[in-house]
Amino acid sequence: MIRFNYIAILISMILIWGCEKNIEPELPEAPPLTFVDAWITNKNEPQIIRLNKTLPYFDNSEFPGITGADIRITDNENNEYVFIESETTEGEYTWTPPSDSETFGKIGNQYTLTISYENTILEAASTMNRVPEIDSISFRFEEGNSFFPDSYFAQVYAVDPLGPGDTYWIKAYKNGVYLNKPSEINIAYDAAFSAGSVVDGITFIQPIRDGINPFEQDENDEFLSPYAPGDSVYVEIHSISNFAFYYLTQVRVQIDRPGGFAELFATPLSNVVTNVVDVTNNQPLIGFFNVAAVSSKANWLDPDNLPVE
Amino acid sequence: MRKIIKLLTIVFLLGSQFSFADDSDTELSDKISIAGYITDASTGEALIGATVYIPELKGGATTNMYGFYSVTLEEGTYTIEFRYIGFLTVTKEITLNKNTELNIELIEDSKQLEEVVVIGKTNTNVRRVDMSVNKLDIKTIEKIPALLGEVDIIQSLQRLPGVSTVGEGAAGFNVRGGSVGQNLILQDEAPIYNSSHLLGFFSVFNPDAVTDVKLYKGGIPARYGGRISSVLDIRLRDGNNKRFGAQGGIGTIFSRLTVEAPIVKDKGSFIIAGRRSYIDVFAKLFTDVLSEGAQLYFYDLTLKANYDLGKKDKIFLSGYLGRDVFKFDANQGFSWGNNTATLRWNHIFNDRLFSNMNFIFSDYDYSLAFGEDNLDKFEWNSKIRTLSFKPNLTFFVNSNNIWDFGAELNYYIFTPANAIGISNGEATDISLPLKYALEWSIYFNNELNFGDQFGLQYGLRGSGYSYIGPGYIYEFETIIPGQRQNLVSETRVEGKEVIQNYFNLEPRISLKYQINQRNSIKASYNRLSQNIHLISNTTASNPLDVWVPGTNNIKPELANQYAIGFFKNFGINNDYETSVEAYYRTTDNQIEYIDGADLLINQYLEGDLLLGIGRAYGLEFYVKKNTGKLNGWISYTLGRSELKVNSINNNEWYPTRFDQLHNLKVTGFYDLNERWTFSASFTYISGTPTTFPTSRFQSQEYVIPYNYLSSRNNTRIPDYHRLDISVILNGKKYKKNGKERKNRDYWVFGVYNAYARENPFSIYFSQGTDRPAAGEPVPTYGTQLAIIGTIIPAISYNFKF
Repeated sequence: MIRFNYIAILISMILIWGCEKNIEPELPEAPPLTFVDAWITNKNEPQIIRLNKTLPYFDNSEFPGITGADIRITDNENNEYVFIESETTEGEYTWTPPSDSETFGKIGNQYTLTISYENTILEAASTMNRVPEIDSISFRFEEGNSFFPDSYFAQVYAVDPLGPGDTYWIKAYKNGVYLNKPSEINIAYDAAFSAGSVVDGITFIQPIRDGINPFEQDENDEFLSPYAPGDSVYVEIHSISNFAFYYLTQVRVQIDRPGGFAELFATPLSNVVTNVVDVTNNQPLIGFFNVAAVSSKANWLDPDNLPVE
Repeated sequence: MRKIIKLLTIVFLLGSQFSFADDSDTELSDKISIAGYITDASTGEALIGATVYIPELKGGATTNMYGFYSVTLEEGTYTIEFRYIGFLTVTKEITLNKNTELNIELIEDSKQLEEVVVIGKTNTNVRRVDMSVNKLDIKTIEKIPALLGEVDIIQSLQRLPGVSTVGEGAAGFNVRGGSVGQNLILQDEAPIYNSSHLLGFFSVFNPDAVTDVKLYKGGIPARYGGRISSVLDIRLRDGNNKRFGAQGGIGTIFSRLTVEAPIVKDKGSFIIAGRRSYIDVFAKLFTDVLSEGAQLYFYDLTLKANYDLGKKDKIFLSGYLGRDVFKFDANQGFSWGNNTATLRWNHIFNDRLFSNMNFIFSDYDYSLAFGEDNLDKFEWNSKIRTLSFKPNLTFFVNSNNIWDFGAELNYYIFTPANAIGISNGEATDISLPLKYALEWSIYFNNELNFGDQFGLQYGLRGSGYSYIGPGYIYEFETIIPGQRQNLVSETRVEGKEVIQNYFNLEPRISLKYQINQRNSIKASYNRLSQNIHLISNTTASNPLDVWVPGTNNIKPELANQYAIGFFKNFGINNDYETSVEAYYRTTDNQIEYIDGADLLINQYLEGDLLLGIGRAYGLEFYVKKNTGKLNGWISYTLGRSELKVNSINNNEWYPTRFDQLHNLKVTGFYDLNERWTFSASFTYISGTPTTFPTSRFQSQEYVIPYNYLSSRNNTRIPDYHRLDISVILNGKKYKKNGKERKNRDYWVFGVYNAYARENPFSIYFSQGTDRPAAGEPVPTYGTQLAIIGTIIPAISYNFKF
């Protein structure tokens, strides 16, 4: 999956006839529905599962939490992780590693999430897949042009292990702030974009390596340099299931809407997939469960220490 | 289906009996034919659809696509009138006692142009058998107000009933509820796979080089096949074989230049027509963006030459090269274009047997490149190439009985992706294997007229298709309907082995009952099949949409269309033409996509496709005023276009993105005097369907829209309406000394979207562009986008000498 936002930006800079306005159309009514948000990692920190109800699309309030649920994850070695209901936040359930050296799960194991509440049982499954180490994070300087000012770009280097079918979610933090815009979802299938075009066993291709740069604009809509001297960058690679990759691909299609001429390339709105099943009523639910192994690395931008080109 | 074939067989037998009875040997000896070409006296160009009328018989013939006519008569003396709109009628008194070749040159009626009053319009629309056919002549197209003043054939088609688009900037057009990829677009018989420049704002056809534009929306004759919705048949000019000529213009987007000249006077000529955008030339003056290797331009070059090899043979060579280039620096960019070449040979065996043979090459490709340098880049292109051979024979038994026989052979080579990714110096070739297909068809078509009253055109086309190796056979199984299918097996086929065959019989029939000179009723049925498919899951069709061959998984798209129409003219000179047509169309194997389908560089693409059925129906109203200072037409279509695909919209019917209940177009011209013409066009279209969410849920940091009923296209965007105006100022016709100027020129001033309506193209839902604060609820917005939200003025200068 390759995105053509750059082209859209270019074209929209030249064709300035268009216009956009925010509207709040009346949407069809819908009952609140249960959804699960369970992305578990092997980081040494509390692991959180959220069980909430949906809201009307334009309702920006907190999601109503579901209380009193029994949530546990088991694996194929009969380990069991029980998630404890939060006392402060409704709908939040936490498993905390018993010690500083322990983490959730083991690479290669299969995990089953079971949620029981109000006479309903929900289930989902995931495997913790392998993850490559990050070799390095480097910066490079590029002289400005009419689109961009003089800029520092960060790149993350890691080598996809041999064997097709590894899928990753690469998350980046700039100065401790997680890059959480829809356009910043950076996922990889082996070293590139998709299952249908195999790029296996090599360094992540450049658009993925470059996918850790925030593109922000100032109040005059001028682009800013992604990083400035002294900025820190921290990157995590999460191994995700192939299904989770497919899920995130769909999520990105649905929520990364830069607008303008990119709308010509947009696909129809539709519901994203789920791997959570309501086994009581035998129907799919909403939400996703994934268990990831994580590798990470950090660096900071020292202009005196840039690679010489 | 079987019934229809049976019926056709009966009609065929009856028809042949009729024609044989009419042409038994004894009678044949008494019959004399008169045949030839009708051309424009000033340029030598063939006149397509010119009328040969014999008042004694109240009948006659029309010239075919190549300007050729043939009439068969009893021995005797006749008055024969040769007519063509905008030309002086030539009347000849001829005593026929032997087969006669008669080539006629018609002279343009300059007086008529001065007064700008079209007179003597014939009742062709009532009289002809064919229905659901619209013809646009270039002079009319030039008068329609156009975006940025650029005369555009595809935009002009939008003024016709039954034709629509999803919005500005979208490539292609939709006919009677069909999708963009279901239109067969031919330019001098060569298929054009993408008709757009600059996404979809302009079309690739250079109006200066085009002589005839015909759109078949239904009742499609058997000589056309391969697409299931419509046929757009564009014919290029031959070039002036009398003298050198040039025309051109400077517009807001393009500058154009066309030159034409005889190769040998009256025997052969050529035409070269070029257009190039010059935004980049302009932009260089104002910004340095383009100095870093960035480029933005598009051009096309249309070439044609013809030569008479004696009286019986003409050869034609035409070519087209067009390309769009967008580069954002020296290494990165995007480009697409069509190339075609046609070699045509017209041979007259005798006065009644005309042959047309075409050898055609056509390709479409796009390419993309990203990356910083040679150590890190990504290059990719995709292509469809076609080689075709199309022979056709026309046999004029008599003027009331015309047979067409022909065949078509297409060889396709698909390059789904030729791609290389270089990462940190390591190169990976992610090209996908080429795909090959062979398509063949044979057909006959017979047009019969029983006096003035009854007309019948029927035909049958047999379309064969083979998906051939070398290649891969993929087999899939569906785990969850609507989700990506599981690959079960992958088999390599070596050599030119057949992987999958398809065969379809396509009966076509049109009937006319002419009540009187002014009224007729027509009906038609046609069945069409399509073996190569345009894959597009985006809101609008765009240049990256890929053509794929039918495979073991992708079955031929099929359509059945039934239409009935009433045609009526008013006024002494057929001043008003009116028609009402109703159509009903069912389709099979319509392609849809799983959510999150991966259409680019995906060898398992077939596993992301869904097949469904479609239906479209509607009523088309058309009123045209041909005469007077105020002329023009009104088109109104009331229509529906729906699909039903397993797993989409809970397996129920849903409207397509281009479903438009009301589609009203008013196009009017006021010819004040010989210098000033005022044009206006108004468009009103019902809002097109879109999908709104009901709810939101959160997945990690992201708020995701959710539609509780899983419905598709469950609501509509607001209605679309727009007014465009233009003024044409013709240069003075006479010099100060009273002599007529040799060259003509005119200015066009226009405004598009005159009252600056922000017509919505789409409404989309997103969480906004600001970075959400950690731990805070994420705000969401609905955004209405207008591709064109302002008045767009235009000015252009055009000349001809």
